[in-house]
Amino acid sequence: MAHNFKTDLAVDWCPGCGDFGILTSIQQSMAELNLDPLGVVMVSGIGCSGKTPHYINVGGVHTLHGRAIPFATGVKLSNPNLKVLVTGGDGDLMGIGAGHLVAEGRRNTGITIMIYDNEVYGLTKGQAAPTMPFGEKTKSLSRPNIFTRLNPISLALSAGYSFVARGFSFDMKQLKEIIKKAMNHPGSAVIDILQPCPTYNNVNSMEWYKERVYKLGDEKDWNPVVTKDNVKDAEEIFARSMARAQEWGDRIPTGIFYENTAIESFPSRISKYVPNYLDIVPAEQRVTTEDGYTVVDAEKTFADRLIG
Amino acid sequence: MTIVDINITVGGPQGGGIDTSSNMISRAFAQSGYYVFGVREYHSNIKGRHSYTHVRIKADRPRSLKYPVDFLVALDPDSIFEHLEDVGQGSKIIYDSAIDKAELSQARLIMRDTAKKIKETLTDDNFPNTISGAIAWMKSRGAIPIPVPFNSVVQKAISGGVPSRYFNTLGAALTLAISGVNVKHMNDSIKIVFAGKESIIDENVAVVKAAYDYCAENNLAGKTLPDLEHPTRFMLTGNDGAAIGKMMGGLRLQTYYPITPASDESTIMEEHNYIKWVDTEATKLKESGIVVVQTEDEISAITMAIGAALTGTRTSTATSGPGFSLMAEGFSFAGTDEVPLVVTLYQRGGPSTGLPTRNGQSDLLFAMNTGHGEFPRIVLSSGDVEECIYDSMKALNYAHRYQMPVIHLIDKNLANTSDFIPHIDGRKVPVIASRFDVHGLDFKRYNLDTTNGISNLGAFGKDIFWMTGDEHDELGHVTEDSEVRDRMMVKRFTKLKTADKEIPMDDRAILYGDKNAEVTFVTWGSQKGPILDVIDLLAEEGIKANLLYVKMFIPFPEEFVKKILSNAKLVIDVESNFLGQLAEVIRAKTGINIESRILKYNGRHITEDEILSASREIINNKETKVEKVLKHGA
Repeated sequence: MAHNFKTDLAVDWCPGCGDFGILTSIQQSMAELNLDPLGVVMVSGIGCSGKTPHYINVGGVHTLHGRAIPFATGVKLSNPNLKVLVTGGDGDLMGIGAGHLVAEGRRNTGITIMIYDNEVYGLTKGQAAPTMPFGEKTKSLSRPNIFTRLNPISLALSAGYSFVARGFSFDMKQLKEIIKKAMNHPGSAVIDILQPCPTYNNVNSMEWYKERVYKLGDEKDWNPVVTKDNVKDAEEIFARSMARAQEWGDRIPTGIFYENTAIESFPSRISKYVPNYLDIVPAEQRVTTEDGYTVVDAEKTFADRLIG
Repeated sequence: MTIVDINITVGGPQGGGIDTSSNMISRAFAQSGYYVFGVREYHSNIKGRHSYTHVRIKADRPRSLKYPVDFLVALDPDSIFEHLEDVGQGSKIIYDSAIDKAELSQARLIMRDTAKKIKETLTDDNFPNTISGAIAWMKSRGAIPIPVPFNSVVQKAISGGVPSRYFNTLGAALTLAISGVNVKHMNDSIKIVFAGKESIIDENVAVVKAAYDYCAENNLAGKTLPDLEHPTRFMLTGNDGAAIGKMMGGLRLQTYYPITPASDESTIMEEHNYIKWVDTEATKLKESGIVVVQTEDEISAITMAIGAALTGTRTSTATSGPGFSLMAEGFSFAGTDEVPLVVTLYQRGGPSTGLPTRNGQSDLLFAMNTGHGEFPRIVLSSGDVEECIYDSMKALNYAHRYQMPVIHLIDKNLANTSDFIPHIDGRKVPVIASRFDVHGLDFKRYNLDTTNGISNLGAFGKDIFWMTGDEHDELGHVTEDSEVRDRMMVKRFTKLKTADKEIPMDDRAILYGDKNAEVTFVTWGSQKGPILDVIDLLAEEGIKANLLYVKMFIPFPEEFVKKILSNAKLVIDVESNFLGQLAEVIRAKTGINIESRILKYNGRHITEDEILSASREIINNKETKVEKVLKHGA
């Protein structure tokens, strides 16, 4: 029987929340890829998005505010055979956790990062998140936002992510396909997911987004893919993606901005220095002898420290 | 036969080959069969500021260092000024005769306050503020100046290049020639130190010959030092010890963010990445290694290590005070989520950036209380290089057995201590099996149905379960249920009771020496060696002393400590901090207040002589409520 990727917990997001669409898209993408539930780990931070792993019937870690990425990186590096997904809010991943988001772009470990982008900190009553534009005044703010907006797509591209996309929580068909692609991508992926916060953000509502979003994939000449075969075009493709990333306002592009499989993944880079790293992953190593002692011969391993 | 006991300080500018010089000396004495024990002292600086090594050579293994030194090898003027007070009767000062006229005012890289102090010392005794003045001042205290024309000795030997690049070899060779070490041993050392660089070896060997010739011609050469029978040994630092112990203990992933004095441990692992298996496993196991990851910050270091631990991999991170401050939130997560995680906490002088390259033991109370909320942890510390090895193995075992974070404290002095270890014993500490029952689906990671608090450990990849920093139910889902909260708190702390029952006393506190002593020292960390030496010296004076050496702070060996201290006569606490943190822990846990304390918090290594004289003062004056603050050290 096919695995049920839903848990039996009551989901406690607000009615109309964009999180529901994201949750369903994740569950469907896992089911459609027919993933072994033991081979998938969900990692989240804090906030409404942080609850996601509890609702999905695979291994799940609901970590600290801003720290989902390094937790996930640790899971993946100790067992690169696992598929590791991160869910986090815009404040979680680009406010308190921005440093980790940038660092992971340089690593390209092979994790799928989903940014729940609703421009507010929902669980703490609607403070402005890094993606809220300057001057926006939602009903939860006492005065207009006095910070400027951070662009998740250009940030992810600059940081070096080899897969950058944007989805919309009310277009689950598109989002599910993006998540599937991201999970099968060898490097790390960032998916910026637009979603309303019906309780605290009355400006960027479902209707507001629906009027603006369009699909990059609908454009015939849109090709964001770099592979080993067209590496020579990588710079041009990247520049085009970066230019398109700037578009925001009346029209908002969704879909895949950039996909580069020519950038080596972090586990692959490590395997050049750590013998058999991908073959016998750290999690699978036997560290004791049958009678319960170390398998490591320290005197041989540290023979360079021998002195007369 | 005279007893060999030589203390040497080699000083010079950071980046000027001091370590190489000291390494040559250590290796040459090693070749001759002796044991060398030493420590490095350095500024937070890449090039130029004063740095030095202090080593002690004996036929049996030294445990401490001692002032005054027998040799001060000064590779620059600063090293004469900085070590004015480190010489005494019979100390030989080897220095470049060309620097005789150098003035203190020109030694601009000596910290201003240090220069002022040196100036006062010389001026008060009517000596000029120059090298010749400083040398004369040292001579007035019984030291023996040995000025050597460094440039001309080197120039005659080398085929070209800058002579000053060979001053470190020259300084080492002069010291060894004067000590009577066979030149063959020095040359063998050079071949090892510069292995693979033939032209450099030839030039250095020529410099050594010139140095030995110079000493012979000027009647400086010492009586030939007899070679000793000796086993093969490993020259290891505390950082090496921790790296070795972790690898033996099954560690397969380490994270770190660069920080002194912790990062050496991680880079040492990286350098020794290819693990060699014990003979019985060599045919069974494929070649494999350790993954060492440099992270973007310490928050990432601890959370990445935790993430890696969730797949069943043995993981750890290593850091120092400022980094561990950043790790506090992650540490708390590891506590409530019962993650087997080891943090090796290298202590340097705090608070804040403090004395970033100097010694300190001021993080004991921090380690015992890191993180918000109440959760169990194990806190232990090491006092010598061998303990670093085996305690690192034990720390990993504790983390896995009790499913809780373990802090392993190592002070900077120990991290940078170099010692000769005859044998690394793979059978001394077992490695508890990391075998996981496969639970698959519907696995209660936090099963409450236990008597010892320990639930089955799960591993992602084999089991489905959840974890959260929130209070959680047996499956690992968030709960705010009041009863489950209570039961989970009790379960977590029950593990600590189990640890308290199971961990043998020898791993927690040790009484060295006779039970019935007039003086009982109390200490932890790297003062162990110097105090054991002081106890031997006091015995020669007819004073019977012993040492209560504490290694584990959580779970604290309450009854053992209480029993010893309530029967002790004069108790003296010795620590490298301001508050006497161990004494405070003992007071909190046993109600016993240790009133006599010898403390040092200037960041420099504690030596045998200063503990001896401070203890003598306390013993002779029969003072009880006294705090002696040790001030020595360049």
